[in-house]
Amino acid sequence: MRGADLLGLPVVGPGGEDLGRVLDVRLVQDGPILGAFAALRIEGLVVGRRALAARLGYDRYDAQGPWLVAAGVARLTRGTRYLPWADLQLTDGEVRSQVADLGPVPKIA
Amino acid sequence: MKVVLKVFLGILTAIGGFVDIGDLVANAVVGARFGLSLAWVVVIGVVGICLFADMSGRVAAVTGRGTFDLVRERLGPRAGLANLVASTFVTFLTLAAEVGGVALALELATSVSYLLFVPLVAFLVWFVIWRMPFEKMEQAFGLAGLALLAFAVALWQLGPDWSELLRQATHPSVPDGEGHPTYLFYAVSLFGAAMTPYEVFFFSSGAVEEGWSRKDLRTERLNVYLGFPLGGLLSLAIAACATLVLLPQGIGVDHLDQVALPVVLSLGKVGLAFLIVGFVAATFGAALETALSTGYSLSQYLGWQWGKRTAPREAARFHAVVLISVVLGAMLILTTLDPVKVTEYSLVFSAVALPLTYLPILVVANDPDYMGESVNGRVVNALASVYLVLLTVVAFAAIPLMIATKAGQ
Amino acid sequence: MTGRVRDLALHLLDRQVVDTDGAAVGNVDDVELHVPEDGSPPYVIALLTGPQALGPRLGGRLGSWLVFWSHALSRHSGADPGRIGMELLTDLGAQVTVARSRVELGVHENEDRARTYFVERIPGARDARR
Repeated sequence: MRGADLLGLPVVGPGGEDLGRVLDVRLVQDGPILGAFAALRIEGLVVGRRALAARLGYDRYDAQGPWLVAAGVARLTRGTRYLPWADLQLTDGEVRSQVADLGPVPKIA
Repeated sequence: MKVVLKVFLGILTAIGGFVDIGDLVANAVVGARFGLSLAWVVVIGVVGICLFADMSGRVAAVTGRGTFDLVRERLGPRAGLANLVASTFVTFLTLAAEVGGVALALELATSVSYLLFVPLVAFLVWFVIWRMPFEKMEQAFGLAGLALLAFAVALWQLGPDWSELLRQATHPSVPDGEGHPTYLFYAVSLFGAAMTPYEVFFFSSGAVEEGWSRKDLRTERLNVYLGFPLGGLLSLAIAACATLVLLPQGIGVDHLDQVALPVVLSLGKVGLAFLIVGFVAATFGAALETALSTGYSLSQYLGWQWGKRTAPREAARFHAVVLISVVLGAMLILTTLDPVKVTEYSLVFSAVALPLTYLPILVVANDPDYMGESVNGRVVNALASVYLVLLTVVAFAAIPLMIATKAGQ
Repeated sequence: MTGRVRDLALHLLDRQVVDTDGAAVGNVDDVELHVPEDGSPPYVIALLTGPQALGPRLGGRLGSWLVFWSHALSRHSGADPGRIGMELLTDLGAQVTVARSRVELGVHENEDRARTYFVERIPGARDARR
């Protein structure tokens, strides 16, 4: 599997409702050791509708300037949600969430 | 002492390097038609380019990465590619205009048709990039470009009523017989001349070429915040010369001859000789910068090895792109498309393309993951936000204004 | 470094990969994810670079065109993109550093082609001018 196979996939809820698309993949560095580092293991998916705005990263950091850009991007990405890997199933061409109400994206410290 | 000399040299280079064919044409055209009533645009443009160059230079010094690396990282491959195509198109158009500008300056010196010089100029542009060390190249053409100070000397010799010039510059108004759209269209051109996207690509990639690090940031700031405004003053001198000589006689600017006319009238042959050296150096220097910029942008987007630090064979695709763009630029001018017209269009498209690279750089300059302690301060961010709005408005207004005024006719 | 959170698109994709000499190797055009048999979450096992990896991410006609032509022109790597195992990484920041030279990595076919057939035929291609 490649990163591109996940990014952009449609995400649906338990009843088949449209939740958006995969905008990013959250990785945590606690997998098996590969060379000098622990592997980057998937922890969950960032799900939403505004891929370009989300790509700027303002929905992932707590406070980052300038205010104008931060406020604009926050407005565009306010529907962005987090889907933990444990709560999803990968089916053919889509991601099926086992929960209907997704939580907010945990900020990166 | 060596440090002082280096800083001084850097500032001089920045002054000479600031003016290119776009500034020459736009300032003379505007001066001849609107006097100094658009001088405020040059001031706004210079502050903008200082801000943009400072941010991109700081990002380059801290991360070691050029502009298009970061554009793609922030916008992703698709939007990044659209951005690359638009920005490279504008840079290519500017490259063609600069090559045409060098040839026109040589025509002015020899009375031989500029078209005959185009292949030679193109070859020399490529050859200098192929053989000349980066810093020497930058300094040689920047310093020779200072010959354009002939405009400042001519202005002083013309003995203008300084208070009247100052009044015109500080009380902007649309001259009688000109419509508001036309006035605004030329405001956009002048803005595009002061803030041309390639200047930033070249500045940030050049910082990487010269191996800048955090400790070079102070020198960088001095170069930018002193050199560019002084370059802006030189631009205003060009406009003021046109205001004094061309405007009263109703002479429009559609060729480099008219740009030079005020200097010839007040300083004679010696003035013209200096001016031609300045024209050639400034436009040739800018041709080098734009040709390199097309290579920088494409290589950075695709992750290729780029730059003049190593032997050309170590950055083969980069050098191939530079060579091809110089050849294509020369071919565009050889179609007998008027280089002054190409310049005027390149300025409008510059204004359109600016926000595309400005926004990603602004975002990265604020990202502690890249910048650590060196993120933008509050003052820079406040100013940068004002410019973000301004650049966006100008970008959206540029094309409609161009259509509405038939490119300023 | 253990436990650090990184988002794939925000912190890893599209970054520059440089080799031991600081020379550009390519971009992180995509990553290869290993899916463990036991059903535990997948992890990144390699970085992918080159047109074969960039094409699918660009998508559309341009993406397929890129993949088709780079495959057609390729003599060695066939349909696979350049692959850099994660075990070779020494740093992961504004750029990704790997502990191999670009020659050893062998992901440089197009650069080699541009050098051999074009740039190296011009006199002076071997001289570095500082």
